[in-house]
Amino acid sequence: MTAPARTAGVAAMIRRPPAPPDSRINRDILSVMEGAGPGYWLLLLAAVVVVHVAGAIWVYQVYKGLGIAGYVHPVFWGVYIVTFVFWVGIAHAGTLISAILYLFRAKWRNAINRSAEAMTVFAVLTAAQFLGIHVGRIWKSYFILPYPNQRALWVNFKSPLLWDTFAISTYATISAVFLYIGMIPDLAIARDRAVGWRKVLYTVLALGWQGTSGQWKAHTRTTLHLSGLATPLVLSVHSVVSWDFAMAIVPGWHTTIFGPYFVAGAIFSGFAMVLTMMIPVRRIFGLEEYITDYHFENMSRFLLLTSTIVGYAYASEYFMAWYSGVEPEQSSFWLRAFGPYWFSTWAMILCNAVFPQILWFKKVRTHIPTLFVLSVLINIGMWFERYVIIITGLSREYNPSTWGIYTPSWYELGILAGSFAFFCMFFLIFLKLFPVIAIAEMKELAIHEKAHGSGGSH
Amino acid sequence: MPEIDRRDFLKIVGIGAGGAAASGCADHVEKLIPYVVQPEVITPGLPVVYASTCLECPSACGLHVRTREGRPVKLEGNPEHPINRGSLCGRGQASIGRTYHPDRFRKPQRRGAGGGLEEATFAQATADVAAKISASPGGTWVLGGPTGPTLSGLIDRFVAAVGAGGRLVYEPFSHDGLREASRAVFGVAGLPVFDLSGVDFVLDLGADSFESWLSPVEHQRQVLEARDVASAAGRTARMVYVGPRLSMTASSADLWLPARAGSEGLVALAIARVVFERRQAAGLPVGGDPGLLGPLLAGFAPEKVAAATGLAAADLRRVGEQMAEARRAVALPPGDGLASSRAVATNAAVLVLDAALGAVGRNVGLPAEPPAGQPARLAEIAELVAAMNAGSVSVLLVHDANPVHTLPPELGFREALAKVGLVVSFAPLADETTELAHWVLPDHTPLESWGDAAPRPGVRSVVQPTIRPLYDTQALGDTLLEIARQMGEATAAKLPSGSFRGVLEASFAGADFAAVLAKGGVFAPAPLRAGAVLPGVAKLAFAAPELAGDGEHALLVHPSPLLYDGRGAALPWLQETPDPVAKIAWQSWLEMSRATAEALGVETGDVVSVETPAGRAEVAAFPRGGIRDDVVALAVGQGHRVGLYASHANEGRPGEARGANAVELLPAARDEAGGRAWLSTRARVAATGGHARLALTQKSDNKRGRQLGEVVALAALLGHGGSAAHAGAHEMRRPYDPAADAVGDSPYRWGLTIDLDRCTGCSACAVACSIENNIPNVGEEQVIRSRQMSWLRIERWVGEGEQDLRAGRPPREDHEQLGRIDVRHTPMLCQQCGAAPCEPVCPVLATYHSPEGLNGMIYNRCIGTRYCSNNCPYKVRRFNWFDYAIEKWPDPLPLMLNPDVTVRGQGVMEKCTFCVQRIDLARQAAKDAGRPIGDGEVTPACAQTCPSQAIAFGNLRDEKSRAAALVRENGARAYKALHALNTRPSVGYLARVVREPASRIEESPHVASAARDQEEA
Repeated sequence: MTAPARTAGVAAMIRRPPAPPDSRINRDILSVMEGAGPGYWLLLLAAVVVVHVAGAIWVYQVYKGLGIAGYVHPVFWGVYIVTFVFWVGIAHAGTLISAILYLFRAKWRNAINRSAEAMTVFAVLTAAQFLGIHVGRIWKSYFILPYPNQRALWVNFKSPLLWDTFAISTYATISAVFLYIGMIPDLAIARDRAVGWRKVLYTVLALGWQGTSGQWKAHTRTTLHLSGLATPLVLSVHSVVSWDFAMAIVPGWHTTIFGPYFVAGAIFSGFAMVLTMMIPVRRIFGLEEYITDYHFENMSRFLLLTSTIVGYAYASEYFMAWYSGVEPEQSSFWLRAFGPYWFSTWAMILCNAVFPQILWFKKVRTHIPTLFVLSVLINIGMWFERYVIIITGLSREYNPSTWGIYTPSWYELGILAGSFAFFCMFFLIFLKLFPVIAIAEMKELAIHEKAHGSGGSH
Repeated sequence: MPEIDRRDFLKIVGIGAGGAAASGCADHVEKLIPYVVQPEVITPGLPVVYASTCLECPSACGLHVRTREGRPVKLEGNPEHPINRGSLCGRGQASIGRTYHPDRFRKPQRRGAGGGLEEATFAQATADVAAKISASPGGTWVLGGPTGPTLSGLIDRFVAAVGAGGRLVYEPFSHDGLREASRAVFGVAGLPVFDLSGVDFVLDLGADSFESWLSPVEHQRQVLEARDVASAAGRTARMVYVGPRLSMTASSADLWLPARAGSEGLVALAIARVVFERRQAAGLPVGGDPGLLGPLLAGFAPEKVAAATGLAAADLRRVGEQMAEARRAVALPPGDGLASSRAVATNAAVLVLDAALGAVGRNVGLPAEPPAGQPARLAEIAELVAAMNAGSVSVLLVHDANPVHTLPPELGFREALAKVGLVVSFAPLADETTELAHWVLPDHTPLESWGDAAPRPGVRSVVQPTIRPLYDTQALGDTLLEIARQMGEATAAKLPSGSFRGVLEASFAGADFAAVLAKGGVFAPAPLRAGAVLPGVAKLAFAAPELAGDGEHALLVHPSPLLYDGRGAALPWLQETPDPVAKIAWQSWLEMSRATAEALGVETGDVVSVETPAGRAEVAAFPRGGIRDDVVALAVGQGHRVGLYASHANEGRPGEARGANAVELLPAARDEAGGRAWLSTRARVAATGGHARLALTQKSDNKRGRQLGEVVALAALLGHGGSAAHAGAHEMRRPYDPAADAVGDSPYRWGLTIDLDRCTGCSACAVACSIENNIPNVGEEQVIRSRQMSWLRIERWVGEGEQDLRAGRPPREDHEQLGRIDVRHTPMLCQQCGAAPCEPVCPVLATYHSPEGLNGMIYNRCIGTRYCSNNCPYKVRRFNWFDYAIEKWPDPLPLMLNPDVTVRGQGVMEKCTFCVQRIDLARQAAKDAGRPIGDGEVTPACAQTCPSQAIAFGNLRDEKSRAAALVRENGARAYKALHALNTRPSVGYLARVVREPASRIEESPHVASAARDQEEA
């Protein structure tokens, strides 16, 4: 890998980490999968319990009706859609890292791409739940699929919600395939070391990988092509999600900035979630050698960039509301900042646009506890961003006689908590079942290092 | 028998379980069972309509009862009936629910040993009651509401036949003051007839003539017709309202004089004096004897009474001058809410004004002779209570009334009832009085009954059954006849043999009874009877009323526009329809001025205590600009402890009173002649520190200048001719082109034109819509969350509103001002947009554009994403948050469901369909006849019932349709709601006309700009 990589700014600037020797890589990374302490089981149990509580709430909601949620006329979308958009956003870091950074040859991604891809898949899975949780008649929700039927009923291709369905299902497919393809060589390594049922599992999953040059060639090529396919998705999926709002005439939704604004926000929240998850994982499993401060610093730079874009979008929205002279738009934005939802709005602005500015300082970018706190704050802020957009927009639209203020019910918050548990549950299982860092790619880095000597960029 | 081994056993069990599980997945299958012998008049699927009469209030509107397969499903006005001419108010619309009410008694009830009611039979009941009456005939009394003349005559004959002590007709709002005033002024005790057709000036002195006074539907139609701007071009009638609060009726007036409560008589005399002077000076005729009126009015110059009324003398003088110049002016005396200790004098003063205006014999007719069955005055009821206390009443028969709830507790009726040996109630529905009765002999509901009504001379309206009685009930007349028969031959001989129906039919002797039934009654024009003012009127003391207590505020207890005297509280359709003024449903609230609220330190919804010498209540505060500082107002109607909907029983709290019973705050005060005085006490109001969650359906009356409820000044309108073509009109207001929005070559584009100048906010349309379309009543808790399902609501805007960004904070915005009206009632329903924002966003095409331009809604296809509602700028879509079809229709209410309209299930969106089922019915008829659907063949429920004909429905592609013609003829008033969004609605609004100089009401910028554009063109 030579010249073209230099053109990628971020990749060129970075200092590569010292890679551990080959034999240790296998051992270190696969050791994460071995055994599980009581702490792990406790965490998993907690996650499973919360998922079941949320499931019970959901069953009750299906039985009783959506009225148990906090919806008031005219706020007909609530926490469920907020959380849906939040998880779709989270899902963006994975593909960005695996596809775009792959194409840009930003080698530092190798340490984090596996976990980021896994998070993508789990986040999309979590998000998809909310489409079902949100609708009034889950038992008829298959209507949204364009399946052939005798009655010649068809779907409405004009509806952004239908685009959403396609976008999410495509994204889920691609990210799952990406995760799996990338994992095949590692599964083969795991297969070679595993015993018992794991042996069977990995044997099946590894698809007979032998590491021959032919296989490697095919693998590299597949990854390249998949990256090419996935790259536009990074931009399109959240653009499509943003159109759920931008295509509507609701004040505060109907704006052209939503595409880039949502994509930037998605990457922002995705990286924040990677940080939130990987900082404890690295600490617990002692992976400091593989995931180094240097990785975190690079992710921080992404956070800083996207935070600035998001902050710009906030400012631009307010500017446009004022500059347009459209009174319903102005009222809507006034409501955001100074109405009953002020807390959400200021939480969003502070967490997403103001606090991340401390990342201008290298000391902060390399101070892991601060980064961890910041990443959690950003996650909260990004959830509130969607809350602000969706709820305030709907609360005060064109007809002031129907204005209403929404407060989530405990049921909704229970399902929100369940979504985090759902995500964590998958991640915890993943940690013990699959290599959390791409072994093959780490080795590739190590080989590189041997060939080019340590230090400096290649 | 072969042995079954373990494997086979498991197989069979597995198949069985699987089959059972699979069949459990299928939807519940219901079968339609055809008639074995089909009744002659019934064609399944087609309605059969019977004429009848609404008995919900004394105005006796004619009904067309629409039945399907033997069940009444909808009430509509009888177009041939002289009182209501096809319209019906919300109370009348909702009264269908009495027949299917869960509170109905299914059998006669006897008070058991344990104190509870036990089921019995009519045979047992009549035998027991007959025995008790026979034991002491003189101790038997009948206390009941007003009934039709035939039933009333029968009751009188029963009383005479059994030798009973007597009979009192009891009605809470009995207009005692007006009856006595009529005697004092004209010598005839009874209610004068007010015919407001063709008037050019109406002075409503707190009558609230559009909501609860003598004949609200009739008055509303007459006044709004006289006010029409298009036909009368400039001769549109003026309307002035005098009263302490901006009531629903007041909001339709041109001028509001917020007089001190109880001073209406003085206002009337001051105006009468100006009228008298003016007319004398101009040599115009004065109704009445000038020699009598001159000295009578001498002491009431506007300048003298101004202070006592709280008004400016100049305003009184101006109104007087306008009325003097008017050709057909009329003044309406105050309603019962303002009946004070001076009620007779107050009403007499207004009748004197009418005489001075020459209105008597023209718009005001005297009753021919005091008809029998007049309501008793409070003094007479007090005598009965005294007799009950003295133990001289042994049997009390109570019918068509709920005296325990509606009589002031100070009177002691409830306690006296305990001393009566046998209390018999004939109420069909459980209420506070049946709770104390020993026997309940349930009467039929009006839809199951025979009967008649004679609301005024020349009108005899008939009541006929439209369904076989649902339960083991018996008509009151028949029960009385049966009791008499049980008492022996001698008694029975004094009464008609046969049934009450026979008595009724005999009373129509000479007329073809079948024809009478088909028409709905016998109607003959009856000229209004004139009369001269009697000298005795001068003896009345015209002065401010005396109020009990020492609080700072007079307590105004007024009839509720929807619940009336509380009889409507049992009907969930009325409970769920927001009050036309406060926009609150299911609850009670105390109206107070903003200054009062500020002094108390309370905001909307804070609980205050109201204390009078008679009682104390806690109720939510409702501060508003439209009420005097020295008055607090509480509507009658709530506070019931019995009834599924009247109390909190439907929320699982039986026995808990819903809201406050205003009557319990009133002393048993009387007017000069012993009639009931309602405006009788002062109240101390204090904050309690509590807060109530109000079921407030409209939290802001600030339309923020948006194009919602528009007005246009009359001057501007007349200056431009009112019907000018739209050439060169503003781009955003170009005439609607129906061709653009109906698909292809469809001959129809359905549309609705709503004339805001005619809308009074009475909400009859909303109730009618609810019943026609099987809309569930979701209850107080859900309305608090704004989850009411109403497809049609009336928005109440005050003024043009302001764009202050800080405004609009909860709990409520209020832009009313004392003495200023500028209320714009705006019915808001699905606008059936040509470019509907709801349509493209639905992923499953559950909402789509029909070829005739309707926004169709396919419930079966809806998966409930609720995106359509988000994208609807009018916010007229409703969502089924729960399974209301099951939860909100307890038995036997499902019998009332309109079979033409789908009952929506949980999780689907719904909205106004323009009553598409009626369009389809008309389409079938037209198709059979091989012609297109003509104008007027389809009328949605809202347009059908509107008392002021504010709503016109029709095919916009047909230029001759009324809906299209109205827009064309009123071009300068026409606009589309939120037109700037380019949704191209098919609902057109005609702006309200401001008749007073524009300084009082600023003109809407949208309509003003349209007028400008026309001028430029």
